[in-house]
Amino acid sequence: MSASIPPLAAGASARGAGQAAGRPAAPPAAVGALQAALAAEHAAVYGYGVAGAHLSGARQRAAAQDWQIHQASRDALAAMITALGAQPVAAAAAYRLPFPVRTGRAAVMLAAYLEDRVATAYLGVVALSEARLRLFGARALESAALRAAGWRGRTLAFPGLEAPAPGPVLSGSGTSQPAPGAPTAGSSSPGPASQSPPPTGPAGA
Amino acid sequence: MVREATRRAVLAAVVSLPLVATGCKGIGALGTPPRQQPDVTVLRDAIDGETLMISRYRAVLAAVPALAGPLDPLLQQHGEHLARLRARLIEPSTAGRPEHSPAVTASPAASPAATAVPGTPAAARAYLRQAEQAAARELLGKLTAVPPSLAQLLASIAASEASHALLLGPARRAP
Repeated sequence: MSASIPPLAAGASARGAGQAAGRPAAPPAAVGALQAALAAEHAAVYGYGVAGAHLSGARQRAAAQDWQIHQASRDALAAMITALGAQPVAAAAAYRLPFPVRTGRAAVMLAAYLEDRVATAYLGVVALSEARLRLFGARALESAALRAAGWRGRTLAFPGLEAPAPGPVLSGSGTSQPAPGAPTAGSSSPGPASQSPPPTGPAGA
Repeated sequence: MVREATRRAVLAAVVSLPLVATGCKGIGALGTPPRQQPDVTVLRDAIDGETLMISRYRAVLAAVPALAGPLDPLLQQHGEHLARLRARLIEPSTAGRPEHSPAVTASPAASPAATAVPGTPAAARAYLRQAEQAAARELLGKLTAVPPSLAQLLASIAASEASHALLLGPARRAP
């Protein structure tokens, strides 16, 4: 196997981790994938804070629970990245929301959207060659898919691989299934028109 | 003497004919060696698993049609899983596994699952839930044996199946 883990000065340098195929998981690739997952967890922590502010009752409790889960995942990833000799990426001061979040319904859709993004990020970890990291990524992907299904009330065929259109408007799909994460469809407001700006990303302050 | 030698020669020639033919066949077979790579095996297993899952859903739907509402979307996603998996399986046109191709459209009754399907909605949901959980576990167990891109697909399908199991579970509503 490889010799040693080259220390990376900053998280940004982990980006150029794309390696030639067929080589064993070079530490840079692992760091890059973990940094991407960490960035997604940062965004999720921020986003759940926004979502929780627009929820109440059982939904708010579910959001608080998921918020804590993402905080724990964030910390775990940061520790893993540090152990690989790299500097964990920092959270942005603020994030641009994918759509306006002013209602409980939009908040629920934001939560599902955040989970989709987290799932996609962990799929990058699944691509790593190291078995331990691959399984870690797969389990995290599954957890995100479960939370997304809980919020959305329906499942995706390919969590992490497919990106459902961001937006609070569920195209008339009768989500008759009560969502475990968000028990009842209680105070759903009329869905706001989604202007669907680009996806959530670090906002320019 | 002469006659015997001739006879022997003829016999030898006759006996060697099938050997020559076999030899040619052997050389031809060497041109396309049967290569069963681990990921191909995993892929085939996954295809079989999805096919079985689809037959389970169909059997349940036949026994408990009232479940069509919640089950149809899940069944459709299994169809998507199967299609995506099969698209990855590149087999030689002369592959000796013809049973794999028509498996998708095989009659639902062709599976062992069709014989033992619970008749009540709750039991049927529990049955499928358990099957989904087992399928997800099995896929996760094979992740490290395959190349990265296939691992991603299998992990994604496993996550989908785990979320199926979640929705098949008992509805959590405050009474």
